[in-house]
Amino acid sequence: MTDKNSGTHGAILQDAAPEKDGVIVELRNAGKAYGNIRALHGVSLQVRPSQVTCVLGDNGAGKSTLIKIISGLHQHTEGEFLVDGAPVRFSTPRDALDKGIATVYQDLATVPLMPVWRNFFLGSEMTKGPWPVRRLDIEKMKKTADEELRNMGIILDNLEQPIGTLSGGQRQCVAIARAVYFGARVLILDEPTAALGVKQSGVVLKYIAAARDRGLGVIFITHNPHHAYMVGDHFSVLRLGTMELTASRDQVSLEELTNHMAGGAELAALKHELAQVSGVDVEELPEQEDLTAPVAAAPEGTP
Amino acid sequence: MSVTQHADPAVTSPPASGPKQTDGRTAERPLVVRLLARPEVGVFLGAVAVYVFFLIAAPPVRDAGSMANILYQSSTLGIVTIPVALLMIGGEFDLSAGVGVITSALTASMIAYQLSMNVWVGVFVALLVSLGIGFFNGWMVVKTGLPSFLVTLGTFLILQGVNLAVTKLVTGNVATDDISNMDGFNQAKKVFASSFDIGGVQVKITVFWWLLFAAIATWVLLRTKYGNWTFAVGGNKDSARAVGVPVAFTKISLFMLVGFGAWFVGMHQLFSFNTVQSGEGVGIELIYISGAVIGGCLLTGGYGSAIGPVFGAFMFGMVQQGIVYAGWNPDWFKAFLGVMLLGAVLINLWVQRTMTRR
Amino acid sequence: MNRTSTPGLRRITPVVAVAAAAALTLAGCSSSSGGKKAEEDAGNVSAGKANTPRLTIAMVTHAPSGDTFWDTIRKGAEAAAAKDNIKLIYSNDENAGNQANLVQNAIDQKVDGIAITLAKPDALKSVVAKAEKAGIPVVGLNAGLSVWKQQGLLSFFGQDEAVSGQALGSKLNGTGAKHALCVIQAQGDVNLEERCAGVKKTFSGKTDILYVNGTDMPSVKSTITAKLKQDSSIDQVVTLGAPIALTAVQAVSEGGSKAKIATFDLNKDLVSAIQKGSIQFAVDQQPYLQGYLAVDSLWLYKTNGNFSGGGEQPVLTGPAFVDKSNVEAVSKFAAKGTR
Repeated sequence: MTDKNSGTHGAILQDAAPEKDGVIVELRNAGKAYGNIRALHGVSLQVRPSQVTCVLGDNGAGKSTLIKIISGLHQHTEGEFLVDGAPVRFSTPRDALDKGIATVYQDLATVPLMPVWRNFFLGSEMTKGPWPVRRLDIEKMKKTADEELRNMGIILDNLEQPIGTLSGGQRQCVAIARAVYFGARVLILDEPTAALGVKQSGVVLKYIAAARDRGLGVIFITHNPHHAYMVGDHFSVLRLGTMELTASRDQVSLEELTNHMAGGAELAALKHELAQVSGVDVEELPEQEDLTAPVAAAPEGTP
Repeated sequence: MSVTQHADPAVTSPPASGPKQTDGRTAERPLVVRLLARPEVGVFLGAVAVYVFFLIAAPPVRDAGSMANILYQSSTLGIVTIPVALLMIGGEFDLSAGVGVITSALTASMIAYQLSMNVWVGVFVALLVSLGIGFFNGWMVVKTGLPSFLVTLGTFLILQGVNLAVTKLVTGNVATDDISNMDGFNQAKKVFASSFDIGGVQVKITVFWWLLFAAIATWVLLRTKYGNWTFAVGGNKDSARAVGVPVAFTKISLFMLVGFGAWFVGMHQLFSFNTVQSGEGVGIELIYISGAVIGGCLLTGGYGSAIGPVFGAFMFGMVQQGIVYAGWNPDWFKAFLGVMLLGAVLINLWVQRTMTRR
Repeated sequence: MNRTSTPGLRRITPVVAVAAAAALTLAGCSSSSGGKKAEEDAGNVSAGKANTPRLTIAMVTHAPSGDTFWDTIRKGAEAAAAKDNIKLIYSNDENAGNQANLVQNAIDQKVDGIAITLAKPDALKSVVAKAEKAGIPVVGLNAGLSVWKQQGLLSFFGQDEAVSGQALGSKLNGTGAKHALCVIQAQGDVNLEERCAGVKKTFSGKTDILYVNGTDMPSVKSTITAKLKQDSSIDQVVTLGAPIALTAVQAVSEGGSKAKIATFDLNKDLVSAIQKGSIQFAVDQQPYLQGYLAVDSLWLYKTNGNFSGGGEQPVLTGPAFVDKSNVEAVSKFAAKGTR
């Protein structure tokens, strides 16, 4: 389900009327300053059900700050943050979870030494019996975990094995399945493919698609445009804390996306300077006019 | 020491349908191998080895009365070792547990004696103080993020000083006064320091409490939410927090459980020996911690059991008393103790290594 | 003002109520026997005070903190200090190196005299020489009987550990004991080892040594029980400290042994154990006297040039036996924690 709506054009987002139908999470010109350091500024983003919104950016571009705002670890200091059209300000990750926003972090998604099924239900365990003999309903939890994992297409021989013995991709998948089971409407995936090999990345991408097909809005954070382009419906590129590009799938090609990620507009501007320096091959660098996708109105600095 | 480090690498399973499909790369492990992968099995075999060894080397050990004596010594260590092990699974240390035992006994004794109260009042106040110390430790660790090693080392030194200074201030001596003729003493002694006749052998009540606490701790650890959280906060605190586990509550309450254990043994000492010297208890905290480690708990947290430390404490008591029963040259006592413990730990390690590597 | 304080009061009221209720409940829990109320006010040792100029004396010992025996020594020293118009600086450390530092500290404070225990004489040799070089008189107490003269100390107050051990050993010969167990609560402590060696020397029966961990009473109890079980011919237990002796009483009765118990050193509870007969006798080295005389002798030296023991002989404070025959006389002093 590719989005054809013009409302996704980042540059004009702040002017668009809020779309109650569909948009779950929306940022309007949001930003975050730590003291006098501006980590994020003027970011606008929309997340809809059954849609994968990719957020791309190099290290230090502000991706993690963006996740922290949406997942409730930090609060935004400027702009607006809306869930279901109403402005919100989360104080803990619990608040975000209660709104159906689940985050799967890159490295802290699971407790390695604990069995798969315990990880699956960690923090939301099923219990039976009255207090003080209220106890875990182990049978039910194992059965549910197994079913849910199968529904996502993950089959494990032994749910008792510590999750640390699974591959990185499988661990991500368990975490995704867990978020889906616990009623997440929006799933934030923090670089789920970063540390994985080609095959494992493919597995994770497949589950991202599976989650999307189940009707979730997915925010897929990555620095790999190839991965993003395989599943993404909408792409936002962050650079130095601001939005460099925001475009839906039909407005941008993989090549352009790659160029933007590689330094994009700034590299093009530098091309002429670099041409003066002998020994630098500039022929293959893109020209400014090659970048046809709508470029977000950067408030300062970037041309 | 972790079993899982030697466990099989990932089992990849391509997304596919089918109710009972496996990828065929992992064979079902035999029951005995799965059993041996439990954290407490290594220490169990180590304890059996030590027991058999002394059964042969020290004839008096064969007597049931001797076994009751060994179990008594083990239980006074074990009652604190269990919560110390839970705390270690939760990823933290408590160096103040040893002097905490004495703090608790001193508090109960002085409150009862100085205010001429029923001893149960002292017992109750001591419980509050012990839980309070646990709360303080946990709260400091959670709020400051400092390693619990440092925080509880501070508490350890503070309590050592406070034990001495307050006792001296209140009683004028460095030991508390005898409370054995006060109201409620005999009642409290029944609870904390009596013994039972089992087939002509006097078994101390602390042995029963010890086993009861171990059973409850095992159930809580494996069958309740709280147990799940304990493993989680020790295994990966940040993950646990991210999925909604109340990390601060879990850690603080684990420290308070250690406080409870220290209180219980403190009450045993008070009602067993009538008075308490304020300088006692130093150095015992390391025995608690080593009991937990011998019992298969991972020093870095997130792995272990409540039943393993029972065998850990038993092994300690067995070695300590076994050397005496064997009548060996006492000059070598500490050296024997060290060698036996090291040997037992090695057996433990060897079992875990060989059995989890297929 | 009133408005703001009222809600605060409301919040406090239930707290006060609960506290009051708790106090009432506690009052209902008063013990009818024992306790502080039952303890008679024994009063303090008090005598006239000297009008000599104010002196500062340092006492540096190798005592572990929180030990009853050493607390009695300190009380004796404090009593002498109060009487002689002396400011007493008491410090202690089990570690010989740290003890030497404490002596150096006293030298730096330019004290008028130092009282010291020489448990590990070699470690303290140089710092004692330093004090003497600085013109500070040094007396020894408790430990160091064999070396105090070589190190140039003015005088020495204590008991010969070997002699007291021997005295206990020969006293046991008269009780018909055949096999004694000497319980050492700190392995490697020279004084304690000497006591047991002394017992072994004069006791005509067999003497075994048992090491226990003095900071863990349940462990002391089980270890003694285990030893009595292991060797049922043991009919005499000798302990080297009062709390250990009281624990040994329990170990003996629970282990079903017939062994009798004799001990070094006294305290309040031990005195009542002797009265009850659960302990045969105690060898008292009069720690209060050691502390008192050490401080007092420095005062006498400074104000009148006196040498206790003439500078040649040690002043022996023990061994003094306390048994059923003389325990009554001792008990009222022991109750105060001074004997």
